[in-house]
Amino acid sequence: MTASHPVIRKMTTTFKLCAMASAIVSAGLISSQALAATPAGTLVIGKAADPQTLDPAITIDNNDWTVTYPAYQRLIRYKVVGGKGTTQVEGDLASGWTSSADGLTWEFKLKKGQKFDDGSAVTADAVKYSFERMLKAGQGPSEAFPSDMKVDVSSPDTVKFTLTKPYSPFLYTLANNGASIVNPAVVEKQGTAYLAKATAGSGPFRLVSWQKGQSLILEPNPYYAGTKPSLKQVVVKIIGDASSRRLQLENGDLDVAEDLPEDQLASISKKPGVTVAAFPSLRVTYLYLNNKKGPMSDVNMRRAISYATDYSGIIKGVLKGNAKQMRGAIPEGMWGFDPKAMQYSLNLAKAKQLIDGSTGKGATLNFVYSSKDPNWEPIAISTQATLGALGVKVKLENLANATMRERVGKGDYDIAIGNWSPDFADPYMFMNYWFDSEKEGLPGNRSYYNNPTVDKLVRQAASLTDQKERTKLYQQAQKIVINEAGYVYLFQKNYQVGLRANVKGFAFNPMLESVFNIDTMVKR
Amino acid sequence: MNAMTEQTLPTAPDIQPAAASGLGYFFYKVKKSPLTVAGLFIILFMLAMMLFAPWLATHDPNAIDLMYRLLPPSAEHWFGTDEVGRDIYSRIIFGSRQSISVGLFVVAVSGVIGALIGCFSGVVGGRTDRVIMRLMDVMLSVPSLVLTMALAAALGASLFNAMLAIAVVRIPYYVRLARGQALGIREMGYVKAARTFGASRWHIVSWHVIRNALPPLIVQATLDIGGTILMAAALGFIGLGAQQPTAEWGAMVATGRNYVLDQWWYSGFPGLAILITATGFNLFGDGIRDILDPKQKGK
Repeated sequence: MTASHPVIRKMTTTFKLCAMASAIVSAGLISSQALAATPAGTLVIGKAADPQTLDPAITIDNNDWTVTYPAYQRLIRYKVVGGKGTTQVEGDLASGWTSSADGLTWEFKLKKGQKFDDGSAVTADAVKYSFERMLKAGQGPSEAFPSDMKVDVSSPDTVKFTLTKPYSPFLYTLANNGASIVNPAVVEKQGTAYLAKATAGSGPFRLVSWQKGQSLILEPNPYYAGTKPSLKQVVVKIIGDASSRRLQLENGDLDVAEDLPEDQLASISKKPGVTVAAFPSLRVTYLYLNNKKGPMSDVNMRRAISYATDYSGIIKGVLKGNAKQMRGAIPEGMWGFDPKAMQYSLNLAKAKQLIDGSTGKGATLNFVYSSKDPNWEPIAISTQATLGALGVKVKLENLANATMRERVGKGDYDIAIGNWSPDFADPYMFMNYWFDSEKEGLPGNRSYYNNPTVDKLVRQAASLTDQKERTKLYQQAQKIVINEAGYVYLFQKNYQVGLRANVKGFAFNPMLESVFNIDTMVKR
Repeated sequence: MNAMTEQTLPTAPDIQPAAASGLGYFFYKVKKSPLTVAGLFIILFMLAMMLFAPWLATHDPNAIDLMYRLLPPSAEHWFGTDEVGRDIYSRIIFGSRQSISVGLFVVAVSGVIGALIGCFSGVVGGRTDRVIMRLMDVMLSVPSLVLTMALAAALGASLFNAMLAIAVVRIPYYVRLARGQALGIREMGYVKAARTFGASRWHIVSWHVIRNALPPLIVQATLDIGGTILMAAALGFIGLGAQQPTAEWGAMVATGRNYVLDQWWYSGFPGLAILITATGFNLFGDGIRDILDPKQKGK
């Protein structure tokens, strides 16, 4: 109504004809204002960045999973207990499974009547096809599985996985986005690149349109065999500007808003109709240091950066105390966490001494980051300032998120920043992904860390089943990677998301950050 | 050609007496126009700010303090602090060096190059003239901000590249103006006389044409400084201008935008600085245009 007032005031001074016109205009304004609140049955999610690819065999970015995860099904899924995501699993496409005593063969029986969004049945062949396609692509998602894993169809509704050596996190990896089952008929017909921009799965939702950089629209899959979702439509809006996301959430143009700046959460949560939900998570923020080339390949330089980071300033100042400094790679709350692990702290004298003794002395470093996470720029500026005081010039490069990932993937950076959240509840997600030299680049080892001893330790840990033994190996490896400052281990923090008060049933799972359970969420 | 001469006003012979009447007359006219005086004061104020930045600033513009982020204006921080606890007042003071020098640099570079090309093109005429002018038309046909963005992005994000990009884009405006002047001047008796005495083309352009084409070019340049500062701010705003930690007004507005709902001072004060500076140069430019315009004389 407020927007129509100036129009009405003008009426008194203009002609009757104008009055009529303005009446029409104001009527239009009122009706468009009524539309500003999102329609019932439609959930609008505001995100900071566009998905890069929707192909589950390629993406390992949670930002893409908002769209892909609900569009596909996997053999198993994480249980939701009492409205909360857990780390226990249950069958999704599978009705049950058996495994051999040595953990090398796994058999999954498929539920009956599961259908893709074109109405065709989800068969054991489709499961085999999807896994083989993902392994053949050899991209990030395949890193979660042993490369020599074999998938066979033992009967039309039974799939058998054969591993050559025990792989402890195996069952949980099947709930990953990468383990999504795709429709083989669609891929064969449209070509394999088709899945980068469309979905062809059996999940509760399907993608109906994608306007690059604008929005993605999901609608229920009419053939979905599970419980029908209550939402009629889900719109994912891409809004790069944090203030716009906040305003739209406050005005009711968005129902869910991600990546809101820390400083604003307190004032957002005071607004009527808006809640800010915080969930304990295993999400960490850390700096990648290019171990492979440039000044950062010198361990003293990396240690110097670790000592020249203002951890407490970042945590108390930038994050308002809503975070805690990491102790090595494995975050608190994940088994294998070492409460006694060494932490670096701000020590400029030590850093100076290390820089003077390193080959990187006098070098100019670049620090690549993006505006995806509003905390990244202040952290980058802080690093620049502390290093500048030590005579190391840092050039900040604020890039588009996709460009930044590309640079990291090519190893074309000195320092970069990232967030990491585990996809399954196993320290493998940190120790093997971050440090195994086979996972160099975007798959996980973004620092290009390479140490044969560490390789051996983490690979051995992955092949054992005894948790105590594995913890020992991982902690042993962690001591080395902390000492060698493979990364700068910054902090872990809660996952926070802004929701309209009438949005109910969001079950956050720390393994599935940025994934919304839109099949069971409701709008009142 | 005669038709063109008539379109480009003021023509050189009219200008002569105005220039001849000297600086005293100029200041007499300036004093009579309060807006021009206001513009002049703003410019002087900003130039003083540039020169005396280290003494005017209350803090180190790049000193961060994460514990004092986004503080509202206070006695300690007059304009508040930014997202890493830097003093916004000090950053605005130092930012004037970036923003204003961009304005001066761009206008100097594009003005000199544009004037040379334009006068040369006008004096030579013929096919060379046509080729040059069509090239300028092509450059003018692309919206200037878009062209600047493309150039700045191609050269890489830095303040210097942004300045170069803006300078290149501004050149055609000066070329057109200077050529129009040159077309008139080359028909003047003194040019013809010089030619008769065997003066080279270069001598004619540099000695006779440019000197006499100067007044309208100066007006254009003064008016341009304000616009250029805005354009540099726009480039800084989209991340193609000055890079962190250098304080630059446009970039400050851009970062402050993320906080504008709760911390209005962050983008508010640098925005105000841009507004005042651009206004100052525009007022002054308008003023001297009126003074140098012979048609206004005697009014």
